[in-house]
Amino acid sequence: MIEVNGLKKIYEVKRRQNFFCSEKEKIEAVKDISMKLEKGQIVGLLGINGAGKTTTIKMLTTLIEPTAGTYSFDGIDAIAHPDKVKRQINMIAGGERMIYWKLTAYENLWYYGQLYGIENSLLKKRIEELLKIVGLEEKANLPVETFSKGMKQRLQIARGMINDPKYIFLDEPTIGLDAIVTQELHKEIIRLAKEEEKGILLTSHYLSEVEELCDYIYLVNAGELVFEGTKKNLTDYVFSKNRYVFSVKGMDEAIIIKLRDHLRSIDLESEVMHENGNAVITSKAELSANIAEFAVNESLIINELHKLEPSLEQAVIKLSKNIESKGVDIA
Amino acid sequence: MDLKVLRATIKKEFQIRLRAYPVDFMLGCILTSFYTVFGAWMMYHYFFGKRLATDFSNLTGTSDYMSYAIVGSLVYMFVVRTCLNVSRRLITELREGTLESLMLAPFKRTSYFVGNMILQTIMTLGETAIAMVIGVFFGLKIHDFCFWKFVIALILSIYGFFGLSLILGCVMIYTRDTYISQNTLFTAIFLVCGITFPKEYLPGILQFVGNIIPVTDCLTLMRADFLGGLTNGRFIYIAMRIFLVGSVYVFTGFPLLKQLEKIALEKMEG
Repeated sequence: MIEVNGLKKIYEVKRRQNFFCSEKEKIEAVKDISMKLEKGQIVGLLGINGAGKTTTIKMLTTLIEPTAGTYSFDGIDAIAHPDKVKRQINMIAGGERMIYWKLTAYENLWYYGQLYGIENSLLKKRIEELLKIVGLEEKANLPVETFSKGMKQRLQIARGMINDPKYIFLDEPTIGLDAIVTQELHKEIIRLAKEEEKGILLTSHYLSEVEELCDYIYLVNAGELVFEGTKKNLTDYVFSKNRYVFSVKGMDEAIIIKLRDHLRSIDLESEVMHENGNAVITSKAELSANIAEFAVNESLIINELHKLEPSLEQAVIKLSKNIESKGVDIA
Repeated sequence: MDLKVLRATIKKEFQIRLRAYPVDFMLGCILTSFYTVFGAWMMYHYFFGKRLATDFSNLTGTSDYMSYAIVGSLVYMFVVRTCLNVSRRLITELREGTLESLMLAPFKRTSYFVGNMILQTIMTLGETAIAMVIGVFFGLKIHDFCFWKFVIALILSIYGFFGLSLILGCVMIYTRDTYISQNTLFTAIFLVCGITFPKEYLPGILQFVGNIIPVTDCLTLMRADFLGGLTNGRFIYIAMRIFLVGSVYVFTGFPLLKQLEKIALEKMEG
């Protein structure tokens, strides 16, 4: 398990005052982040505004040192023993970085395998397996510079798996990929977590991707953790009211008024709006049965009645708007 | 030293060079040496009128200026090629987007840099040998050659240049500049290390700068191997001085580079 406690990173940057003078300024990129990641779990790390996601990932992968805080991998202190931790982890980033374009796919994997000190016969076997998994076995001996974006990304995934890591950090892994490749990658991520028991930490701008893949979410804003929980926890937390869509044959303003009166007798704060021939109902109370009862009593033929489940994207957008208007007031 | 990483680095770099740089890159290096030798030849024949200062022989131990300048040019080519490529390794990784994936792996940096230095030395030795043949046409004469002294001078030169590369690499990775830093160093080497004229002609402060750059002493040993003019005792003294100065560069360069790697990765945040 990865355990992170009170992680903090302060950068010292120089701000140029004029051509000759510059002033040092301290920027707190990550303020106080604590989190956990179990093997076999896919955890999302989402950010709102300049959140410090990449800094957090760089600290967790031992690329940069934290200013304060501790983190361990299966009980190994990552700050005291970075080389031991490096053997257990790897990172896959989006884009076309992290591989040598002048080398072939096979040569790239071979070189990285050597850096991890993998025994040659095992490395050969692993390279062949990985190239097969990412569908590049036919292109193994072609220079990477001749690859498409998707192929480069697939090779990066193979590179990220070369040391058979227990924990994988995915930093915007599907950025710039087309839908089919993205879908294949999603399947592979799920397989790695569920079948191979890899712990995966994912950052992504695509909230639908996080929604599809992640079991648990950490949401950071300006270097601070503002929420943690499942997607359901987040949407329940952000959207305290239920929303329903209700439509009947011959829906008109009179029905809307009757419905509003009926529902206000149950929840005074409930709202009914007439939108595109539907009634859109908002209420803190659970009203599905009451709406159906109303339709039966009024002898209406129901076309549609369902509860709207807010998406992760809607939840994050609403939360970020709340933060912008009220400041961070969420524990 | 991790031999696995060392061998892998040599192989990887060789494959990349083979694909990235066409033959004309090597030709360019030989031409640089040709132009330097040709420049010295022109100055000697048409500007100085083959007349040397009276103290030249006393200072250099030889009266053969063309051989003196050609050996200087060959060593200069050697130092530029090795320093240039080794010092640029990390910043090249940074620019090509492979620094992060490299630093993620738990390998020893020493093997990585030594691997790069070995490959570059092998390639540069080939280029220098060709340039040496060109030098013969401009008047290079071998007056006194001792194989073992040459081997000692070569090994110490590689050690000294390696240390210099590490420090230059630190400057490059910190400033994220290759052009200004490398050209400043190479110009300084050309001017104060006695490439085409004895450094004793320079003011005291510049001579001091020349003495703390290992190229000056390496050049003295190499010239002694080809042109003579140095006693065994003096040869050993200078050899030890190169080892000491080189060690200062190497043992300062490695820890500094490790620190700067972190800074470079932090700077990638923008």
